[in-house]
Amino acid sequence: MRNQSRLPIFRYGPLAIRTVFTVVAVLLSSLVIPATSSAVSLTGESSTYLQSRQTGDGTKELPLYEYLNFSVSDLGKESISFQFGGWLRYELKNGDADHRTTNDLSYAYLSYRNSVANTMVNVGRILVFEGVASDRVDGVYVKTDLKHNFGLSAYGGMPAETGTDLAGNKNIYGTRLSYQSPGLYQIGLSYLKEEKNSEQFRKEEGVDLWVKPVAKVELMGKSRYNAINSAWSDHSYFLVLGPFSKLRLSTEATQINYKDYFTGTTSSVFDLSKSSIDPNDKVRILGEEAAFKATDTVSVSLDYKAYTYEIAGKASYYGGKIAYSSARTVGAGLSLHKMAGETNKLKYDEYRIYGFRKIGHTEVTVDALDVKYAEAINDVKDAYSLTLAAAYEISPSMKLGADVEYSKNPDFDKDLRTMIKLTYLFDTAKTGNKAAAQGAPKAGTIQQAMAAPLTEQGKPKEGN
Amino acid sequence: MRNMTIKLGFLLLLPVLAVVLVACAQTASMAARHPVEVEGWPVCSECHTDGRAAMDHTADFGKRHKFYAQQNQQACGICHKESFCSDCHANKDELKPSDKYKDSPEMSLPHRGDYLNQHKIDGKINPAACFPCHGRQNNERCKACHR
Repeated sequence: MRNQSRLPIFRYGPLAIRTVFTVVAVLLSSLVIPATSSAVSLTGESSTYLQSRQTGDGTKELPLYEYLNFSVSDLGKESISFQFGGWLRYELKNGDADHRTTNDLSYAYLSYRNSVANTMVNVGRILVFEGVASDRVDGVYVKTDLKHNFGLSAYGGMPAETGTDLAGNKNIYGTRLSYQSPGLYQIGLSYLKEEKNSEQFRKEEGVDLWVKPVAKVELMGKSRYNAINSAWSDHSYFLVLGPFSKLRLSTEATQINYKDYFTGTTSSVFDLSKSSIDPNDKVRILGEEAAFKATDTVSVSLDYKAYTYEIAGKASYYGGKIAYSSARTVGAGLSLHKMAGETNKLKYDEYRIYGFRKIGHTEVTVDALDVKYAEAINDVKDAYSLTLAAAYEISPSMKLGADVEYSKNPDFDKDLRTMIKLTYLFDTAKTGNKAAAQGAPKAGTIQQAMAAPLTEQGKPKEGN
Repeated sequence: MRNMTIKLGFLLLLPVLAVVLVACAQTASMAARHPVEVEGWPVCSECHTDGRAAMDHTADFGKRHKFYAQQNQQACGICHKESFCSDCHANKDELKPSDKYKDSPEMSLPHRGDYLNQHKIDGKINPAACFPCHGRQNNERCKACHR
């Protein structure tokens, strides 16, 4: 089922969103192509993917994806900006007219930031992370620092969710009040309420905490209370110790009460009464990870996680990995993990080895993953995949890549997937008009580097 | 009746807003963008001594990043673009993050390889780990089997 958002643009569906994309394209053209001296700046990225794949019933598909995100800053005032992110898919080979295209608006909002008190107002489709909230909302989000180290945030609107069949109106709102002693601790109290068809769908209250009492000791976590069931749904806390010389220890303690945690879902997957999982079960998770930086280029880590259920028994997941990375031009990794559930059906061993090398403007990657199931699935115990990828940096702002993935698993005897990827970065703020026309942002800035997801070493890979 | 309730709600909000405005701190806001260019991965503690010092992006930071985001999303935005979050925290994406970044195997991304079968085991061991991403969002493909 499609998103039931009430904002007019979403109500009118794909056509309206395509129109928005068209308007966006026009906006981009008007901003990038002319050599304007306007203070307005535009930064963003276009990623185009062409993927060849096969579905479980043997149907071959050739979808073309366009992911576009951009930020228009300094709109009139330096403190006003517009953020946009979304994607379109067009199936080139298969599919009837109704299913050939689809799209999603990830976020699109106008943002105002005040120069004092970290006051911020966002209006549009926004992603809210505030205490118990981790929600996409079509509405308003406001945040400000108060006097005496207090802070306040609030949001409200229509929840942007997928897969809901619940009819009627829906709304979501919430708030978080925080107090901090900078550098020492921060504590937050948060509240969230979501209604569907004028009935309570979610009502959550929470406490979040971050404490650093002394150097090399950091405790953080969150407890959430299900106010509809009047019970704590989950507690999740991390204790980080170190670094001690080259060693860092990270301890996780989590408790989840299934009955109170899996509420307010829009998917039947999490209706545990229809699954083999007992909906009244509770799980305690204790985990430990020791990371050792052996040299500037080599890191080793060991991790262990123990699951103790009130009803289902016990399980554990443990293993280790070793990674090598040098000057972001060459790297390799090896990891071994074991999942040990209560029965053979819940056991597997996972092996992974990868390597990458950058030579000049060219990057080459190889990645092999093998999963050995303790009990065969569709008569297959050994599932593996081998991926080869290569990319060429056409210019500082444009990169062309391709990858091939061959795999054998319980669903496919032989599965071959390919993908071609073209990324284009544009940034008029940093590069001036001439460079903007070439779409060339400055290399090496933190903004650019952090536009890429983190590596396992926490290091953004160059060129993404 | 409902409209009246909404109007009353707005009227009650006005004095609350007034109180908030009066109570607002007068300290300078944090920078919208990081003022200093940083090469490579950030070790925030090299310069910062307040809460930001804890945001060193160490190897295990990915597992803990949610705690920092829920307390101070603005700090994340100094360096990260919103698309950085939505690459994984998607509403109804069709491409797995690990498919988008196959050329970056060192990234810690979920669902590599044959995850279709693996998820049947992981989902039973810890279904709560699936819930934050698939409980209310990005679950259209789940319906293909979970009807």
